[in-house]
Amino acid sequence: MPKPKVGIFSLTCCEGCQLEILNCEDELLDIAGAVDIVSFGMAQSNNPETALDIAFVEGTVVMESEVEILKAIRERSTTLIAIGACATYGGVAAMNYEVNRKELKEVVYGADAALIPSITPSPLHKFVKVDFSLQGCPIEKSQFLKLLGYLLHGDSPIFPDYPVCAECKRKENECVLVQHNIPCMGPITVAGCDARCPSHFNGCDGCFGPVDEANVAMEYHVMREKGMDNDEIRRMMHVFAPTAEVFKKDE
Amino acid sequence: MKIVKLSKTNVFQFVDHLKSFGEVHAPQRKGKKSSAFQPVKDNSKLLLSDENYTRTILPIKKYFHKPIDTLLKFSPGKGFEDAYEEEEAKVLFGVHSCDISAILTLDRVFAGKYVDTYYFRRRKQIAIIGMSCIPDEYCYCHSMGTDFVEDGFDLFLSDIGESYLVKVGTSLGDDMVSTASDLFIDYDEKDTDEYKRRINEFPTLFVTKVDETNLPAILDMEYKSEIWEEMGDRCFNCGICSMVCPTCFCFDVNDELCIDGESGERKRCWDSCLFKSHAMVAGGHNFREKRSDRFKHRFLHKHQEFMGEFGRTSCVGCGRCTQDCPADIHFVGMVKRIKGDIACVYEGNNKK
Repeated sequence: MPKPKVGIFSLTCCEGCQLEILNCEDELLDIAGAVDIVSFGMAQSNNPETALDIAFVEGTVVMESEVEILKAIRERSTTLIAIGACATYGGVAAMNYEVNRKELKEVVYGADAALIPSITPSPLHKFVKVDFSLQGCPIEKSQFLKLLGYLLHGDSPIFPDYPVCAECKRKENECVLVQHNIPCMGPITVAGCDARCPSHFNGCDGCFGPVDEANVAMEYHVMREKGMDNDEIRRMMHVFAPTAEVFKKDE
Repeated sequence: MKIVKLSKTNVFQFVDHLKSFGEVHAPQRKGKKSSAFQPVKDNSKLLLSDENYTRTILPIKKYFHKPIDTLLKFSPGKGFEDAYEEEEAKVLFGVHSCDISAILTLDRVFAGKYVDTYYFRRRKQIAIIGMSCIPDEYCYCHSMGTDFVEDGFDLFLSDIGESYLVKVGTSLGDDMVSTASDLFIDYDEKDTDEYKRRINEFPTLFVTKVDETNLPAILDMEYKSEIWEEMGDRCFNCGICSMVCPTCFCFDVNDELCIDGESGERKRCWDSCLFKSHAMVAGGHNFREKRSDRFKHRFLHKHQEFMGEFGRTSCVGCGRCTQDCPADIHFVGMVKRIKGDIACVYEGNNKK
């Protein structure tokens, strides 16, 4: 059986998710053995535009030209996977996606605003069908490898669908929120990062995006008790997953 | 029951002696304000006195029923093989009676219709040495009848001031004591009096008390109470209470595939009935669809269903759920409220 053809693509972003894939140093040979990497901008220079079994796409769509690039990738790929907060929720680039684009461009670029081809920063699913998303800013390489394993085996991927708190407690971390009053998005953020930030005595920034049925109202309540005001809380939630439906109704 | 006396000045020597029975794990500082059972490298780091160790972040279930446990490995050539590797014997030193009581409860759960070999093969490898304690504002073990245990330990150390009275619970415990006989002396009448004085005084030390009499029936009558919706609005369904609960035992089992697409591992991982997927079945249907349904289920399983199945609630009154809840839910307050004390707040508001 021929090896599945894989492409790794980037729209507007820091390219940290591609870098995470490249960081799978111990597994790179295994990956190259299991799949045929046709396109990988960060790692190789010859990237032909051929039909693909799996396309991984990172980044936010911020220009009309990127909509076309994305649609073309979708067109020639059997499976399209959004990787990272940008591709899934718009990420940092979409933090102010609700602000009128024209006015924003005028504030930043003045008279040259019309020359800037940017559109409202949006996640991939706004333009094309996304088969699966890997969360995080950046993605966790352990999750990337697991996902590849599931796909190569023809199984539906199974990833945590519960909050970071559970993962954090399984590691027997002292709670930064309860014990130290450090603002933490752990209770409403989906797990999968192995509680990376709370394990280093930082609050969770929510880069994995909201957990299904996140209790956002309660997060507002708890954060207010820790001394934040509603605007600060709203901004905290909009850093990585600004376009998430659940963050639209706040307080 | 054999009882001997261990002077506090001999405790570290005894801990060193215990190392010949296995790797000694005891409560030591974890984080800035908390403690956890960890391997003992430096005796001076042990938290022994009642002032600086009330409860560890995780209970000792983590040793028998691991947070994440690889059950088997599989590959096309070999089929599947047990992933268990014989572990070195361990001695858990300084376990409080609520946590010992919880292990006796888990024993009954895992010895049910399908005996859980993963749990019991570790159970055999790990000795338990109990230690008396002083309750803080979250403890209510006295109310749950778990403040003293008559079994479940190899040795149990009760603080009587300058010394510990050491109860010997098993033949392994007897070996631990008799092979270090020069560390122990006989107790006298004064020690007996002090022991009795302390156990009689003990119930008066609790700030938090709760009476669960009739609770299963009342929970039945209050099945449709609006309190569950209120709690559903409050609860994050984050699962912290389940993770830290010494008697929550649910787990999920999943296969993880290697990138060869053929071999992999089957793992089980602590789960919680508060998670949406816990009661989800094929087609996306869910027996407990709402957050409030899941909160109610967990509460009822602890305080009602367990009573029917095992003759007692599974709550041991360790106080971890209330102490660690990020939504500030006070579980004792919940019990009181549902029993009719409508003025009772179920928000903690007393966390530091």
